[in-house]
Amino acid sequence: MPVTIVMAFLWAPQAALLGDASRILYFHVPIAWVSVLAFIVSGILSIMHLSGSKRQNRDMDEKAYNSAAIGFAFTIMTVITGSIWAKISWGTFWNWDPRETSIVIILLIYIAYFSLQSSLPDNEKRGRIGSAYLILAMVTLPFFVFLVPRLYPSLHPDPIINADQKIYLDGRMKGTLVVAIVTFSILYCYLFDLMNRILILRKKIEEHFETCD
Amino acid sequence: MIRGKKPCAAEASDLVRDIIRNLQKDFRVEFRSRFALNVSVAFAVITTVALSLAAGGVPFTPRVQSMLLWLIIFFSAMNGLSHIFVREEDQGTSLFLRISVSADSIFASKLIYNLVFMVLVLSVITPLFMFFMQVTVRDVAYFTGSVAGGGLSIAAATTIMAAMVAKAGGKGSLFTILSFPVLLPVLWLSILATASSFEPSGHTDYGTLVFLLAFSGFITAISFLLFRYVWQD
Repeated sequence: MPVTIVMAFLWAPQAALLGDASRILYFHVPIAWVSVLAFIVSGILSIMHLSGSKRQNRDMDEKAYNSAAIGFAFTIMTVITGSIWAKISWGTFWNWDPRETSIVIILLIYIAYFSLQSSLPDNEKRGRIGSAYLILAMVTLPFFVFLVPRLYPSLHPDPIINADQKIYLDGRMKGTLVVAIVTFSILYCYLFDLMNRILILRKKIEEHFETCD
Repeated sequence: MIRGKKPCAAEASDLVRDIIRNLQKDFRVEFRSRFALNVSVAFAVITTVALSLAAGGVPFTPRVQSMLLWLIIFFSAMNGLSHIFVREEDQGTSLFLRISVSADSIFASKLIYNLVFMVLVLSVITPLFMFFMQVTVRDVAYFTGSVAGGGLSIAAATTIMAAMVAKAGGKGSLFTILSFPVLLPVLWLSILATASSFEPSGHTDYGTLVFLLAFSGFITAISFLLFRYVWQD
């Protein structure tokens, strides 16, 4: 992470029109990437929870929940960093650009998922129904992330993987962006592993108290 | 053939028979009280009259008219579509249904019920809205298609949500919270299509209607696969 920060602020050059404000790119894009990655991981774990045997995949729903919790935090950060960038380059914090809309949809899906989870008291039922909702939400997401921004005009800069399949960035900017994406992906893996280890510890403590009773 | 296992044709006929029986039961129970339909239609009437009164006879632009129409349709649907599953849980009949009929036939019958319910709600809301809000339709076929396609997608996507909400104790606002993110592509495109059918210089794009139908089919297929996990205890 320190290397990424140094590269973003000192090594990478300024963008032609935006100046130093363009450096937010090295944080906004990787954070947005992690919020989608966490969402996809949650969806895959939910599929594994529903498709596998009970014993084999009993923790998958809770791991999906952990990934969604990280994704939720990163989605909020994406909205904040994106709004700051929009204010600098477009003059307004929010204007319902198709890409802004797609990130808000992910945020709403996370909110709905957590609301559903909190309304189900039974652990087993919570896992099954929560997983089913996450899968349903995940399959509708490509409509927003890939289809709608390509159908409707957008002020947003081209995505990294655009229609021409080229990255229109200076070599050093491109290098910094790649390093930032890898760094934030590692941060996501670290946080996800940490939360899963806490989950195991919590279960062991619960089991210990149950045997004591 | 494995002993005790029914051939495919027999299974299909059992499924159809169960769907018809469930539908008969659901319509009989619902139209005895007409609670969900009354609530949805009453909500639509009150909202439309309130909007018209607030506007004081001043016509809105086609885009605003379209937005208001779809907001009324969405919230009217949210008031009634979850009732079909919530009622089973409230009246304690879901356990009997679970042990006597397959999950597939329950989903199919509830989906058909919700589609019919949506058609009834739309057939009341749309003329009422056009009457009170001074709407002029440029392309009647496109307008009818956009309203029908959007309504179909709403009913298709919310059927499984209704089952989830029923399992969560039927908490009213939860249904809207769960449905809104999944229904946003539908609402977005329906608003654009309906506005285009109102605008004198608008263009007719049947691709939008194809998208709405494709979305309905897609979400129904996914819901059909997931329903058994939501329904079975």
